Amino acid sequence: MRQQLLQLTLPLIRTHGFTRQTLANAAFALPSPHPQPLSERAISSLFGEGEQARITLINYWLEDAKKSMSDSSSSPTIRGVLAARLKHNEPLLDLLPEAFALLTASSSPFTIDPRPAVTHAFGIADEACHIVGVKSVGPSWYARRASLAAVYGAAELHQLNSPRTAYDFLDALLETSSKVHTAVNEVNTFADYIQRSAISIFKSRGVF
Amino acid sequence: MFQSINLCRSCVQAFRRTFSTKALAVPSAAYTDPSRHGELAVSTTPQLTEQQRARLEAALRVDQAGEVAANYIYKGQLAVLRRDPLAGPLIQDMWDQEKKHLEVMNKLQVQHRVRPTVLWEVAKVAGFGLGAVTAFMGKEAAMACTEAVETVIGEHYDDQLKEMEDLPSLHPSVPLLRDVIKEFRDDELEHLDTAVEHHSQRAPAHALLSTIVGGGCKVAIELCKRF
Repeated sequence: MRQQLLQLTLPLIRTHGFTRQTLANAAFALPSPHPQPLSERAISSLFGEGEQARITLINYWLEDAKKSMSDSSSSPTIRGVLAARLKHNEPLLDLLPEAFALLTASSSPFTIDPRPAVTHAFGIADEACHIVGVKSVGPSWYARRASLAAVYGAAELHQLNSPRTAYDFLDALLETSSKVHTAVNEVNTFADYIQRSAISIFKSRGVF
Repeated sequence: MFQSINLCRSCVQAFRRTFSTKALAVPSAAYTDPSRHGELAVSTTPQLTEQQRARLEAALRVDQAGEVAANYIYKGQLAVLRRDPLAGPLIQDMWDQEKKHLEVMNKLQVQHRVRPTVLWEVAKVAGFGLGAVTAFMGKEAAMACTEAVETVIGEHYDDQLKEMEDLPSLHPSVPLLRDVIKEFRDDELEHLDTAVEHHSQRAPAHALLSTIVGGGCKVAIELCKRF
């Protein structure tokens, strides 16, 4: 029932926003429609008290947006998948800043909780890697996802302010990150050569 | 008369086996054979409850970390005992099997979308250090280290098999995973037997060494389950 109602809120978000009203009106779209919207008590028991219900709705929308990333072409690229996710944001751009602020706010007025932002970006990076079929293991698993999360996070922030240039910004960021990746690999290779030379010199001195 | 026929038959079979090039049908061949990479059992992950998913993730993470550590233990041992005529080729053989295990574990990690352990580099360094130190102490000490590690790993795989009994067997990847873990458990126990055959029990302070190494492995397993 809860999942069904959440599913039915998706088309209503554009008109009513991420609010308890949206959750209440979802009852109208049920297969056996309710004559009235859900009561406040029903919303609180199903989705949480006060702002928690809005947070539940926002998290559900974010999960659904992640699932929509895989609906694109047959040979997906990282750029394509991240752009598809940015595109999914477009209908609701004006609602998103408040939604993200709500996720980040904690009970005390002096602290902000960075964890939802990190989880959000990392989750999208992980989904993108999975769709494209990136097969890294070990530390490179973390490095790849961290860099993609940073790229996506920056692109999404840019999109909230300037939606038309967001895709070019994403391209520029991806190109920069691949240049950094190449540079790091080259430094590693060079350091490896230096290390091997040092070991050979050490061995040839007759110590070992 | 019948004995001689049986003898001839077994001779012919041995002759055929020596020259056959067909790979044995082991479960992990599903992962090592490149022609099978599109199969459902190898490329998709089942729908699981959150609890089951968390347990599967922890299990595969620990297994992968264990195989990394085992690879580097043998690498460390070989770095010291490379020139030994008996121990060198033996350790090399066991290392080659562990390389195959790691390859399969990496594929399992990608298939089931498991986060690898943060302690990957620590596992590498600690494994190499353990292998090198025990090899410095002597051939028998190296075998004793192998014996202790393989005992803990064998028991661990056995516990995992019991845990995996409640996973849904409808999805083809689950019975394959159980078979692969069984195969790896048997391989590790074979390494254990090899180590004992090569006089691991004669190592100096064998009981103390086994306790320390075994205890260290158990701590590592608990850490990798979480991190």
